[in-house]
Amino acid sequence: MISLSDIRKTYITGDAELPVLKGINLSIESGDFLALMGPSGSGKSTLMNIIGCLDRPTAGTYMLLDRDISKASEEELAMIRRDRIGFIFQAFNLIGRISVLKNVELPMMLKGLPRDERKSRALKLLESVGVSHRADFSPQNISGGERQRVAIARALANNPEIIIADEPTGNLDLKSTEEVMEILSGLNREGRTIIMVTHNPEITKYCNRVIRMRDGRILDQSSVEQS
Amino acid sequence: MKLYDILDLISIGFKADRFKTLMSSLGIIIGVMAIVVMLSVGEGIYSGVSSQFSTLDLDIIHVIPGRFSFGGPPARSPEEPAKFTDKDTKLLENIPGVKNVAPQTSAGVIVSFRDKNASATLIGIDPEKEHDLKSKISQGRFLTESDHTSIVIGSGVANGLFRMKISPGNRVRVYYEDGHMDFRVVGVLREEESSGIRAGNINTQMYVTHKAMKELLGRENYYYGTFQVTVDDPESVDEVVDRIKLDLERYHKDEAYDATTARDMLSSLMSILSMIKYALAGIGAISLVVGGIGIANVMMLTVKERVREIGVMKALGATTRDIRLQYLLEAGLLGVVSSIIGIALGIAVSFAIGSLAGLPSAIKIQSMLIGMLFGALSTIVAGVYPANRAAMLDPIEALRSE
Ligand SMILES: Nc1ncnc2c1ncn2[C@@H]1O[C@H](COP(=O)(O)OP(=O)(O)O)[C@@H](O)[C@H]1O
Ligand SMILES: [Mg+2]
Repeated sequence: MISLSDIRKTYITGDAELPVLKGINLSIESGDFLALMGPSGSGKSTLMNIIGCLDRPTAGTYMLLDRDISKASEEELAMIRRDRIGFIFQAFNLIGRISVLKNVELPMMLKGLPRDERKSRALKLLESVGVSHRADFSPQNISGGERQRVAIARALANNPEIIIADEPTGNLDLKSTEEVMEILSGLNREGRTIIMVTHNPEITKYCNRVIRMRDGRILDQSSVEQS
Repeated sequence: MKLYDILDLISIGFKADRFKTLMSSLGIIIGVMAIVVMLSVGEGIYSGVSSQFSTLDLDIIHVIPGRFSFGGPPARSPEEPAKFTDKDTKLLENIPGVKNVAPQTSAGVIVSFRDKNASATLIGIDPEKEHDLKSKISQGRFLTESDHTSIVIGSGVANGLFRMKISPGNRVRVYYEDGHMDFRVVGVLREEESSGIRAGNINTQMYVTHKAMKELLGRENYYYGTFQVTVDDPESVDEVVDRIKLDLERYHKDEAYDATTARDMLSSLMSILSMIKYALAGIGAISLVVGGIGIANVMMLTVKERVREIGVMKALGATTRDIRLQYLLEAGLLGVVSSIIGIALGIAVSFAIGSLAGLPSAIKIQSMLIGMLFGALSTIVAGVYPANRAAMLDPIEALRSE
């Protein structure tokens, strides 16, 4: 499903070149729930952004769903993000000036779905993550755990097969972490592929694979047998 | 992304930031208002003046001492103003094509009636030459050559100047500088529509013979202030003007004098009007530019504020085009709404000017459309740069920003 070969990313700031990814080889199968771990600054977010088609590698080949992403246009990348990928961020990244419901509708708006269809689907999604009672709230007026669940609903809006979650529980308390992980785990059982960055070894129990990175390289991969 | 969805998102932003929205649209509102007022008042004055054009006396030439100037500062010339006398009357009468020459001398005076004073304009005339004035008598009679202590007054003097009406047979006293004279009112003129073109308002004027005028002014040498020359054929009026200027040279070689027609006055007036129009247009244009800069500024601020939001939108699959369209429309909508407000205010101001300043104003649908067009255009132009900045944001940078 996802295949990265010798992916490199070098940031150029002023005159200095900063190699962040130094040859990543990784393949992810459909239905994987993968945890990406590693110290801060090791390039996890950079790799996630490349997998999520938000960023392009400086070198290497990235195959996603049998397509060579390195050759896709901006427009095509935007379409892939809209229809095939759902993003969940540590900072939630809900849009504060529109309601919770509108936030969930946004990806469907971008897709051009009719108003009624979009609204009922958004409500259903909010219900499935247990925050439908917050639909008309501003995201600023709900708790962190609720925000992340709204963000999950939004990520699911266009029914993507891949979910990219960059430290989704990084800002959450224990209880919310558990709730969010249960939801993600359920999505994985539905067949969605999830790639998640985390610093919390506890929650890797939900994953079937753990990958460790250091200094732009993958250290080791371990597969967790699922019971 | 569908248009109404974008508009929906934009209107949420407007509502959330009412004050900022209003402040950013102020320049455009004022600009559009200025344009609508300019067009309406300009149009109104223009059509008012044009309608007067047809009623102008096209067969009359005014000959004056000094240089003719209309509107702007009085033309100053090194020469003395010409001293017109009966010699000039004769000379003018002898020019071919001239039907009548009416010499006039006017002065600002104080008129006193039953111990109350008011100021008015007194004009010395030759009764035999003033056929037009004579025909305007509504009460009493017109002056005759031999009248020395008789006066004819305009309807405004008769009815409006004093609490009591002045009628033929009443006596008035007229003061000029240190002297004064008593007159008996013999006639009252009928009320005339005041015309912007004619010098002075006939309703507030009073008429006596030159003989009486000379005595009142108490001058050794009495000169005429103007000649109203009537020509036989209005078509030949320009030739007669040229001839007058040429012939007067004989007696007034080193003195200043001028001859003009109503048509000349009209064209000077028109050029002043177009100057006013351009000035108003300039104000409109400047405020639109300022307004455009204001909108661009506010849009830049908005884009800065929403960097993270724009990054999120991109992560969710918004294309460069989606974002650009959103911010262009945001500017455009701001422009359309501001323009509508500007047009409404412009109409109100035009009406106010019309009724307060007595200027006619004509609000045409074209004026509103032009205001709308310029308002919307300047905001869209102002929106292009911020919208591009928003569209070109790198989503990674945008999401990393705090
Ligand atoms: N857009 C960028 N420009 C310059 N340097 C960047 C950029 N994005 C990330 N970096 C740098 O790349 C390194 C890896 O960043 P990141 O992928 O966010 O690491 P992690 O998510 O593992 O903490 C860091 O040193 C960071 O400063
Ligand atoms: Mg990171």
